[in-house]
Amino acid sequence: MATELRFLVVDDFSTMRRIVRNLLKESGYAEADEAEDGVAALHKLRSSKFDFVVSDINMPNMNGFQLLAEIKKDEKLKHLPVLMVTAEARKEDIVAAAQQGAAGYIVKPFTKATLEDKVNHILVKVGLK
Amino acid sequence: MNRADDTQMDALKVEPPIHDIHQRIGALTRQLHDSLNGLGLTEQLKGSVEELPDAKSRLAYIARLTGDAAEKVLNSVDQAKNLHDEIATETRRIAELIVKDPVGAVARGHVMNFVTHVEQSSKAIDAHLTEIMMAQDFHDLTGQVIARVINLTTNIEEQLVKLLIETAPAVSSKVIPAAHREHALSGPVISTENNPDVVTSQSQVDDLLASLGF
Repeated sequence: MATELRFLVVDDFSTMRRIVRNLLKESGYAEADEAEDGVAALHKLRSSKFDFVVSDINMPNMNGFQLLAEIKKDEKLKHLPVLMVTAEARKEDIVAAAQQGAAGYIVKPFTKATLEDKVNHILVKVGLK
Repeated sequence: MNRADDTQMDALKVEPPIHDIHQRIGALTRQLHDSLNGLGLTEQLKGSVEELPDAKSRLAYIARLTGDAAEKVLNSVDQAKNLHDEIATETRRIAELIVKDPVGAVARGHVMNFVTHVEQSSKAIDAHLTEIMMAQDFHDLTGQVIARVINLTTNIEEQLVKLLIETAPAVSSKVIPAAHREHALSGPVISTENNPDVVTSQSQVDDLLASLGF
């Protein structure tokens, strides 16, 4: 059964946004919107209600780290879990994301099971499931 | 053509002494070296040239990823089509049984078996469709790599244009903006060999995060 949780999928590649949205839908999370970079994502997050952010890192205008930092310093948004889904596989990036408050980190390419597992794990951890 | 002309032509055909060629190459090399130094391009070009082997491996990575994706898609399509053909064949068979003996088709379990078969096949076809969708992730990964190779070639082009402008006679010495520096993020990992600073699987990411208490 589909839940009412609302996801924001942030990635500069439309293909990847569609893949993540479809996978979320298959996992029962049909409510999702998308943004092509950090700037567009922040605008959407500040003008509409979301429960979960799935974000790429390497994006133009505002990258995933900058978006994460903006979310975490915004009183109204800092509670949002942010799952990083990225091709950046350097250990220092993973550590930096965790230290900045990311709720999870997935390295591309990934499987449906990995995304489902991480999303469910985070939702349980933050009390949304 | 008279004898004098022939002699002149023969003289022109005579190759210059080897030490003269070496001298000319040496002079050209010195001129290029001085020009590069004068323009402050030596380090920039050196950096770009060092990145060329990396660009080659990046292009190989693109070829591999697109090849893998095509293979994955074709395999999934083959399997889904086989399942689809099976459903079509079974549908025709069960239709004939129902036309011949409707009560018997149900009573002997043919209809129920068919329904179960269709349900299982549909689930398997759905899994293949998901596989096909997931295979499209190559677009994101190769797109990032292509952008980096374009950046490298643009850098080299800009530096060579600078050199051309500065060394060509009667050309204004208008300065071209400095090449854009590469983004600090490294993008997809092309090769994990001799690279202990990157993770190679999701389980390594999870282990790293767990070691940090996340």
